[in-house]
Amino acid sequence: MMEVFGNLSLSWFDPWLMFLTAMGTFAGIYVGAIPGLSVTMATSILISFTFKWPVNDALALIAGVFIGGVYGGSRTAILLNIPGAPSAIATAIEGYPMAKRGEAGEAIGLTTVMSVFGGFVGILALALFAPVISSFALQFNSRDYLLLGLIGILLVGSLSGESFSKGVFAGALGVLIGMVGLDPMTAEGRFTFGSIQMMGGIPYVAAMIGFFGVAEAFVQIHNLDLPAVKQKIDRIIPKFSDVKKYFGLAMRTSGIGTIIGALPGTGGDIAALLAYDHAKRSTKNPEVPFGEGAKEGLIAPEAANNAAVGGSFIPMLTLGIPGDAVTAVIIGALFIHGLKPGPLLLIDTPHLFWFLVGNLALANIFLLIFGLTGIRVFTKIVECPKAILIPLIIIFSAVGTYAIENNPTHISWMLVFGVVGYFMKTYGFQVGPVILGVILGPMMDANYRRAMIGARGDVGTFLWDFVSNPISLVLSVSFLFLLISQTPLWPKITPYFPSFKKKQADK
Amino acid sequence: MSVQRERRPGELAFALILLIFSIVALWQAYGISGFKGLSTAGVFPMLAAAAMVLSGLFIIKDILFGRSSERKIPQSLEVDHKVLTVRLVTMIALVILYIATMPYLGFMVASAGFLFLSFAYLWRKNILISIALTGLTLSLIYGLFRILFQVVLPKGSLIQGLF
Repeated sequence: MMEVFGNLSLSWFDPWLMFLTAMGTFAGIYVGAIPGLSVTMATSILISFTFKWPVNDALALIAGVFIGGVYGGSRTAILLNIPGAPSAIATAIEGYPMAKRGEAGEAIGLTTVMSVFGGFVGILALALFAPVISSFALQFNSRDYLLLGLIGILLVGSLSGESFSKGVFAGALGVLIGMVGLDPMTAEGRFTFGSIQMMGGIPYVAAMIGFFGVAEAFVQIHNLDLPAVKQKIDRIIPKFSDVKKYFGLAMRTSGIGTIIGALPGTGGDIAALLAYDHAKRSTKNPEVPFGEGAKEGLIAPEAANNAAVGGSFIPMLTLGIPGDAVTAVIIGALFIHGLKPGPLLLIDTPHLFWFLVGNLALANIFLLIFGLTGIRVFTKIVECPKAILIPLIIIFSAVGTYAIENNPTHISWMLVFGVVGYFMKTYGFQVGPVILGVILGPMMDANYRRAMIGARGDVGTFLWDFVSNPISLVLSVSFLFLLISQTPLWPKITPYFPSFKKKQADK
Repeated sequence: MSVQRERRPGELAFALILLIFSIVALWQAYGISGFKGLSTAGVFPMLAAAAMVLSGLFIIKDILFGRSSERKIPQSLEVDHKVLTVRLVTMIALVILYIATMPYLGFMVASAGFLFLSFAYLWRKNILISIALTGLTLSLIYGLFRILFQVVLPKGSLIQGLF
């Protein structure tokens, strides 16, 4: 118990770790706020600079950036009506009208307090549930991991993309990229075309930075001329009566955020939209109508997306399945530091788990401090012209890609992925499933083959295994449900279930 | 939920390229170990490539018959119909030039050139401002990466050992 407490509070008493966490959170707020810079971009670039650091230092910085970045998107959403990140889209709907009424300070104050509140709910859930899930996950079979990987990719592909087929394509492309190189089981070359460079595989950091950094920089070239809007800011510390009044809503939406975050494949952006929807349905008589600056609509998504941070760490640390794009990148960081996220992480390296929990909590406290201060300086920095920002992103991306293995060809890979990513984004594909596929692909491949070997290569036995074990059965059913609910078969099946029929009639 | 949606320029061409790429990938995946067994190295790549071909066909069907379901979730924050603008193509060319010259010029010189050209092109302010900005950002980058993060930056073959 003492040991747990010691690791939990490690970063609270070590001035250097505390400083790194503070710096991370501070930087994260700005990165999250500046449209065109995303948390995923920042974390993937940071990983390449911090991989030589001691693991605690690197994790302290990255946890700070994650916490700060998820929150930062709300600032520009309120002040400029430009969500700094997809998870702040709902925030812009209510926050910007408030700013136009001259209540920008109040809106920022309220979002800060509620984000911190949501953050703590998520971290608490992580501390309470991760050990339970982790010991449960020890009973998971290789086919269960295969199913979890598939569910993760399908979820992120179906919920966040323009169409389901685009999500599946992106995920499968990621898996394919992850397959390139020598097969770890038989050392056969896959897609290597006889080239030694290709035998080493495609560096996933180059893919991450290409898809999230360079591609986004190219997308932003179209937005060079967006005008900056100036807002009046006065009161920042929110009224206590407001905090008290919306406590129940914040609690409920934090719960939604944690659960959505904890589902493999879904993260803060979906949590925020669902929470906004919940607020809209559950608020009977809002003081101000929704869409015109309702505080309920501001609090709900912000509490939810920060709660999703803690939630998304649960599947990542206990199952090795990233909850969303950012955790997919963080899982990459853990691999680089020689750690193996999965059910054994909590058994082999419990100190690291408790350190992370304590560190996330510390970052959350810094979020409260930085969130309520320095807003005037902030507006100046966020107005930084894109013409300066875009070339800088490209340079950071190039250095970041090079730094991992000091290999210049990785920079060329980065550019290829950047251009492909640009076109994918333009035509309504999501790049999140690609990265999820790259990270999960090799894991799924290995588990598929283990399961197949376990079934002695017999398809019948292989398929029977998926339904004969209770855990596998639950996962198989969820997988099939996810798959069928997205296909044209669904409307043909639903009439057979009266409850669905009623729901559709309501619509 | 199905709404007729305007087709973006080049959308069909891109989908066709993706489909062709997927078919080639499937063929290459087949080449890894064929149908020799169900737990060989080639099975999973084949499954992934097959999923790409299948979803690629559906994407093309959606484009041709315009039955793409509009999602409630706003996807790109910048819905516009510009795909390949002159500015974008120029920037991509500049990045290619930057990456191609880096092994010869070294990171610092190549970055200086890239930063200056792109600032001058994208911002269109006074040349002196662009030069000053290049100097400022370059020293920031050097301080941050070389001194703080201690990253090894690519050196060039042209001016040996200096940059």
